[in-house]
Amino acid sequence: MFNLARQGPGRSVLFNSYDYLLYFLPLSLVGFFALGRRPTWAVAWLVAASLFFYAWWDPRYLPLILGSIAFNFLVGRALRRETPRGRLILGGGIAGNLLLLGVFKYADFALSNAANLLGKPLPLPHLVLPLGISFFTFTQIAYLVDVYRRKAREPSVANYALFVSFFPHLLAGPILHHSEMMPQFASPTNKRAQATNLAAGLFLLCIGLVKKVCFADQLAPLADAGFANPAGLSTLGAWLAVLAYTLQIYFDFSGYTDMALGAARMFNIELPLNFNSPYHATNIREFWQRWHMTLSRFLREYLYIPLGGNRHGEWRTMLAVMITFLLGGLWHGASWTFVVWGAMHGMALLCYRAWERTGVTLPRPLAWGLTFLFVMIAWVFFRAQSLAGAATMLRALSGGNTVEPSGAAATHWLAQLAAALTSDAQTSATWVGAVILASVVVAALRRNSNVMVREFRPSWPTGIAVTVGLVFSVLQLGKVAPFIYFNF
Amino acid sequence: MATLATPMLTADRPARLWFAAVTVATLALLAACATFVWWVDPFQQYRLASRYPPRFYSLHHRYINPGLAKHQAYDTVISGSSIMESTRNSVVARLCGGAAVNLSMPAMSASEQRLMLDTALASRSLRRVIMVLDFNEFAGAPDERQDVAGPLPTYLYDRNPFNDLPYLLSWNVLLRSWRIVTDNRSERYASDPDAPWYWGDLKRFGRDEVLRGLDLKNLNARFQQPERTLAAMRASFERNLLPLLRAHPQTQFDLVWPPYSILVWVDFAQRDQLDLSLAFKRYVYEATRGLPNVAITDLQSERSITHDLDRYTDLYHFDPAINERLVKAVCLSAKRFEASDVDEAERRLREQVAAAQTPAGLAQIVGARAQ
Repeated sequence: MFNLARQGPGRSVLFNSYDYLLYFLPLSLVGFFALGRRPTWAVAWLVAASLFFYAWWDPRYLPLILGSIAFNFLVGRALRRETPRGRLILGGGIAGNLLLLGVFKYADFALSNAANLLGKPLPLPHLVLPLGISFFTFTQIAYLVDVYRRKAREPSVANYALFVSFFPHLLAGPILHHSEMMPQFASPTNKRAQATNLAAGLFLLCIGLVKKVCFADQLAPLADAGFANPAGLSTLGAWLAVLAYTLQIYFDFSGYTDMALGAARMFNIELPLNFNSPYHATNIREFWQRWHMTLSRFLREYLYIPLGGNRHGEWRTMLAVMITFLLGGLWHGASWTFVVWGAMHGMALLCYRAWERTGVTLPRPLAWGLTFLFVMIAWVFFRAQSLAGAATMLRALSGGNTVEPSGAAATHWLAQLAAALTSDAQTSATWVGAVILASVVVAALRRNSNVMVREFRPSWPTGIAVTVGLVFSVLQLGKVAPFIYFNF
Repeated sequence: MATLATPMLTADRPARLWFAAVTVATLALLAACATFVWWVDPFQQYRLASRYPPRFYSLHHRYINPGLAKHQAYDTVISGSSIMESTRNSVVARLCGGAAVNLSMPAMSASEQRLMLDTALASRSLRRVIMVLDFNEFAGAPDERQDVAGPLPTYLYDRNPFNDLPYLLSWNVLLRSWRIVTDNRSERYASDPDAPWYWGDLKRFGRDEVLRGLDLKNLNARFQQPERTLAAMRASFERNLLPLLRAHPQTQFDLVWPPYSILVWVDFAQRDQLDLSLAFKRYVYEATRGLPNVAITDLQSERSITHDLDRYTDLYHFDPAINERLVKAVCLSAKRFEASDVDEAERRLREQVAAAQTPAGLAQIVGARAQ
């Protein structure tokens, strides 16, 4: 599921690649600021760079994103005209976007389920999922709704193309609001290099790269090995594998986001926050206020509230919550595992609402522990290849696997894993423990990157730290691992 | 909107200095690392090792062979999977004339063989290529690649220096460069440029060795070889090797069917892969018979080799003396493989497999284990 190679034959300019860090990003910056005195040219340069960034993965999909941009721009323009058919146009625009997403992302899923229901095989198209399609489709649906609500308008096709394709957010978000981006793209001062933003952007980019390379990529083999064979895991081994994945997905996605925000910042563009220490949350509502915040915002504004939100009584609210989370789960991937993951979070949120009414407050450590435990167990469904695989992992977590006693089995599992990672199993078993411990400390206890960049001051210590972080991370890029969220 | 709060910098100058200093320091350090790796060049990508004994690291064929292909002096290439690794360059040179380089790779796929040979053919004018074919290399998709020691480093197979950064800026390569400079020999490697990938002295050969852990009724249980289809094998051959043979009419290509132990064919029969494998051999003959620069050598029904398990370390891998015999058969035989030879080789092989599947035949090959 998380192997980029399964997505298609091409290659992508990953944020954690030499091509991106040493060629693409510097050249894009230099070109953009060199053309800064001619804003139209600067915008054109950035659009061209962004489309090149996208086409590098597989140029055959360039027409797809260009077509999507053109379609939504034209629908948006039609919506701008005061017309009684606005609602119809909006419905058509949204349907067009969902159709694109449905064909590329959900056709196999729908057809295979239909085949199961009908009891006969149906031909599956097996279409390659274009990178970032979920993100640029949602971004544009939000734009159309905002135009319909008279909250947005964009007369310039170049500006609109930049809003959709701006490469820092193109592949994995954050999911943007037109209104928060266009004033920044339109500002002439933003087309001139600003040292404060260059410095803060580089600082943030470094944090993201270190998160990806030094944490997520170190945790990935542990999680992969555990989820590859959950039936062979002891209880402790299963918990370690799930914990490793819980930490990996946070460092991976938030690392990506930091790199996106950092790169955008260097262009004088502030992207919205996407993470705010989600593993500090002491209840599930707070978790969703801190995890993938722009997706939560999208689902709230464009799905939950239009479904009635909490304005029509308790049952309608519960229904709206469940629909929102089920679709939110399905957005992550065309599989029942994602639907179950969404359903679990929806149910948890409803339980929390009921609990709130009792007025009982749990001690903070207990509330944090329960929230973290729930999120961790829900990740099992998110990561497992199938419902059966998730069930096997849950059985392993509950001690249902009949393998060796926990301690010995875990050591055995770690040693095996360690041996796979390096030639020295003893050292690596220690390394595995150290990586998990360090990741827990950083994810759950340390200040997050938002705070760090807010408090950032140019100084020798930060300069040395960033230099060391960048050099060390770049030297680790030889074993490139794709970002998890590219697949959604 | 929740956004990053702008840092409260009172002046632009400290930020400008900080950004410039960090950028320059980072690029300078990275350039220093890249220069050091370029200078030491542990995988011999820019020159053959001369200042230190070369280090041929275990399982790093895909990283080091492109360098050998670019810089070694040769006019003959040996290309095959792990069964050909123990072929010495000097043996090939003695038997075939000229100078040879062994560019074999373990678990090689057809697309990797093509990539390797493309690099060699772009670097040297080749007189002869001895291509040892392995059925498994045609399993899977035509562009199948094996991540033996990490993803295939395609950037090392071309002449574009701008895509070499994964080599020049790699922690692992930097570490190896440092170990070379400090004469640290803690890692396992070979140093003989005549036989970089030789494993003939590391393995034990003999019937007991071959039969260890084998279930004679399910030979594939231990090796877990992939299932193949004729259509996929043909597609891979047509995509990867046939264009290569056609594109270089001045080079003699010797396609060799290597002498696996007869148990491999018994395994094929157990998995219903026998007819398919023989059909593929026939297809290769038909596809290349019109090419004057292609010759086929088939040792797969050489009973004196394939039935003598003492010459093997497992079902597939034979001792280095067989490698020499194989090269001799290629270079010293004047006879061209004809349609009648295809029929005859297939007939003999089918007979041998049928006999080997009987209790008496199997007992003759494996001894007491057949009981």
